[in-house]
Amino acid sequence: MRLWVALAAAVALGTAAAWVDASCRPPRAGELDELLYYPSGAFVRQAALGYETAAADVAWLRAVQYYGEHRLTDQKFDRIDHVMRIVGELDPRFEEPFVFGSFVLAQEMKQPDRGLALIRYGLDKNPGSWRLAFETGFLHYVCRHDYQAAARYFLLAARCPGHPEYADRFAAFASQKAGDTQMSILLWKRVMATGNKYMRDVARREIERLGGTL
Amino acid sequence: MIPVLAIARNTVREAVRERIALVAVAFGAALVAASQVLSPLALGVGPKLVTDFGLAGSSMLATLLAITLGSTLLHKELERKTVYAIMAKPIRRAEFLLGKFGGLWATSAGLLLVMSVMVMALVGIGYRQAPWAVAGSVILTLIELGIVTALVVFFSSFTTPGLTAFFAAASVLAGHFADDALYFGKQGGSWVLQAATTAIYWLLPHLTVFNARGLVSHGDAVPPERILFAASYGLLYLGALLIAACAIWDRRELR
Repeated sequence: MRLWVALAAAVALGTAAAWVDASCRPPRAGELDELLYYPSGAFVRQAALGYETAAADVAWLRAVQYYGEHRLTDQKFDRIDHVMRIVGELDPRFEEPFVFGSFVLAQEMKQPDRGLALIRYGLDKNPGSWRLAFETGFLHYVCRHDYQAAARYFLLAARCPGHPEYADRFAAFASQKAGDTQMSILLWKRVMATGNKYMRDVARREIERLGGTL
Repeated sequence: MIPVLAIARNTVREAVRERIALVAVAFGAALVAASQVLSPLALGVGPKLVTDFGLAGSSMLATLLAITLGSTLLHKELERKTVYAIMAKPIRRAEFLLGKFGGLWATSAGLLLVMSVMVMALVGIGYRQAPWAVAGSVILTLIELGIVTALVVFFSSFTTPGLTAFFAAASVLAGHFADDALYFGKQGGSWVLQAATTAIYWLLPHLTVFNARGLVSHGDAVPPERILFAASYGLLYLGALLIAACAIWDRRELR
């Protein structure tokens, strides 16, 4: 067979395969169902065969995609804690999934208890993390308005190694200015400064709602 | 020592002729593409993503290369009958095998180092973060690669290329479950099961010892005592494998 005939046949078959895939693929199950079958539990780490952190990154990217898709459509993120826990199982020191997942549950889904359960799960795995302690305090303050619990967690953050200066400040303010709107605005401004682009969007909205200036 | 080095050098030359540099080029391109495409989607954890994917990818590729190149290592020499010409010289069979091992380890280690330097360069230049913590994990992967290479040489000393690749890949896979085998054996209750799983545990390479990717991806350096422990265990284990391989190869009838 001549080379060009072989190449043409290979290109034609490849194009046909792409066409069949593009036009005839059966519809996928809904996103919710798809994430329902995400592996979880004690064996997820073993299944990663020593590549847990890379597997955690793939799960994290999938979770962000899941959030992004639903943010543009139905605003329902029912499976976000499920997938974020899987990321946490794979890479327990990866704090971002606990912070972001709990933020979405507490602030966007208005289910602070679920959000707090997720971030406390992360805090159990990282008891020395000032960030997770601080974010737990944040959720208690702005979502549950439980100022005593917030003060407790801010204080915990301020005792953790490597904490930033603002953890001390909020630990001092939380009990003195319980329920103070200015304190809430300050907390949201911190989200503006440190959060990801989705968290910054929510923070901007909340600061405006509370009458603060950006 | 000189014959071992000469055979090792020749093995590296043969592997280079197989165009393994293409693997490094493909890896580099994939890494840069992944950092450009995936980092913006990762919501601020781009450097972690690049480190994780880079270290996992380089370790996987180097392991695959050691298994695929190594499985045909001795078989090719036997098939081409070049082994007879070598054996006619004052070279012992064990020296020939050790040379093959050294060459294969050097080849896969060289590839791993090139890919690791790419990861460190991308983290250092692309994200302006100190990439030195990665080095500890790379050292551990180099030792792990030594064990994988020794496994390949061990199996190829008495079986066919296909089975060598299968057994080596299965051993690497099982090496990641060694701790679990011991754990589940202890849960079982029966002393026979416990004895069997304990024996399997000590027989398998404990590859989790060499995994520090979770540590360095969060910017922590691998403690020197951990590297020392892994190097001691790894060198002893691969030494045992090579002694067994040499003993088998020494008695093998070459036809």
